[in-house]
Amino acid sequence: MKPNLARSFLGTGILVFFLLMACPLWAQVTIAVLSGTVTGPSGAAVPNAELSIKNVATGQLTKTQSNSAGVYNVPDLTPGEYEVSLSADGFANKTVNVTLAAGARQTMDMALQSPSINPGAPSLGDLGFTPDQSKGSAQDQARLDKRSRMLKTHQRLGLITTAPLLAAIILGNGAAGKKSTASGRELHAAVGGVAAGLYFTTASFAIFAPKVPGTTVRGPIRLHKALAWIHGPGMVLTPILGALAYEQRNRGEKVHGAASFHAAAGAVTGVAYGLAILSVSIKF
Amino acid sequence: MNRNLQIAFLFLTPSWLVLAADTQWVLEQSTVTYHVSHPLHQIDGVSHAARGKGVCQAGQCDFLIAVPVKSFDSGDSNRDLHMIQVARGAKFPMVTVRLHLPADAASQPTIHADLEVEFAGETAHFKQVAFEHVTKGNQEHITGTIPATLADFKIDPPSLLAIPTKNEIPIRVDMTWRQ
Repeated sequence: MKPNLARSFLGTGILVFFLLMACPLWAQVTIAVLSGTVTGPSGAAVPNAELSIKNVATGQLTKTQSNSAGVYNVPDLTPGEYEVSLSADGFANKTVNVTLAAGARQTMDMALQSPSINPGAPSLGDLGFTPDQSKGSAQDQARLDKRSRMLKTHQRLGLITTAPLLAAIILGNGAAGKKSTASGRELHAAVGGVAAGLYFTTASFAIFAPKVPGTTVRGPIRLHKALAWIHGPGMVLTPILGALAYEQRNRGEKVHGAASFHAAAGAVTGVAYGLAILSVSIKF
Repeated sequence: MNRNLQIAFLFLTPSWLVLAADTQWVLEQSTVTYHVSHPLHQIDGVSHAARGKGVCQAGQCDFLIAVPVKSFDSGDSNRDLHMIQVARGAKFPMVTVRLHLPADAASQPTIHADLEVEFAGETAHFKQVAFEHVTKGNQEHITGTIPATLADFKIDPPSLLAIPTKNEIPIRVDMTWRQ
């Protein structure tokens, strides 16, 4: 009985130990830190600037001051959206919004401006812009950021895909005709398979990139998208026709029927793909 | 006689002297163009959507001009969306330019102004930017180029085919102000 009891205590102890260890880890992950430097119009550091950091969701206020080097540091902020108000003697007040992610150590430098000499100086509100035009959205920015990241990957993978695609076209010479060999056909099929795999991965990054509502497509990107309607189906059709041709050749038959269009389909696909790259790279 | 002199003076007074009185200026027409250089492309993004107001009081004039980032058209919707993304234009949708001038600044054919430009959530200052101006009645036609760079606004140069654009993005302004 006693050894069992000891084991129970040991087990509970280990569990408690890990739970206690996990708490600070959890805290480290969820707490955010905001820091930066406050400067004036000339770029010089502004000491003793008052910062008021308000959590937009909870209304909780945290106050701090910049030090002699203009540096401020606010630890222990819960993730979320904050409104940072900044004031210092001899400068115009400033308010900016910032979104802090869990565990973020965000640096936000802030430049204060001289107070307007003319109290009747026009403000943005005087210009008659609608709130839709003048109000920013962190959510929309995040969507644009994601879109750009995906399209950059699309662009890079698209360039990489060019290599196996060209190689497959060149190797097609060894896979067709009277002098073709089984190994030539296999190599052509393997490289073509790699090209197709990379192609569809590339395409998926463009297809699934977030769309921006209300955008009218104009300019060279229209040609780029139109060409996708040629090389997209071509990249589906070419491997299917290639597989048929491969089977026929392996059976010792001459390539016939639909399979005889494999080379032509591959060439059209390759040309459309090349033009799609050029359409967004070179100004015609 | 005095009255006649006063009337003659009013008709002969050039517009820059009128600036000195308490007046307001409204931006009537504008073309703002940014230029981006890339080894494969030379891109111009144009906006005609700027709005502006100037207030002159006690011999000092304050001007504010604002342009929605979204309003720039480079001729390609994909490139424009990318520009908005790199310039953090969804979060900071306006470019604003503030300038403060003494009322007699327009006495010369070239105005030299210190500009405070807010763009992409950053503020940059440009000292003594030269603007040519021509007066026609109660209108002032102003042209000039702001020597902006991407680094001024902490914008990473966008790239095409892994080649980044140049840091310089000169912004040409062509504006007609009306009193």
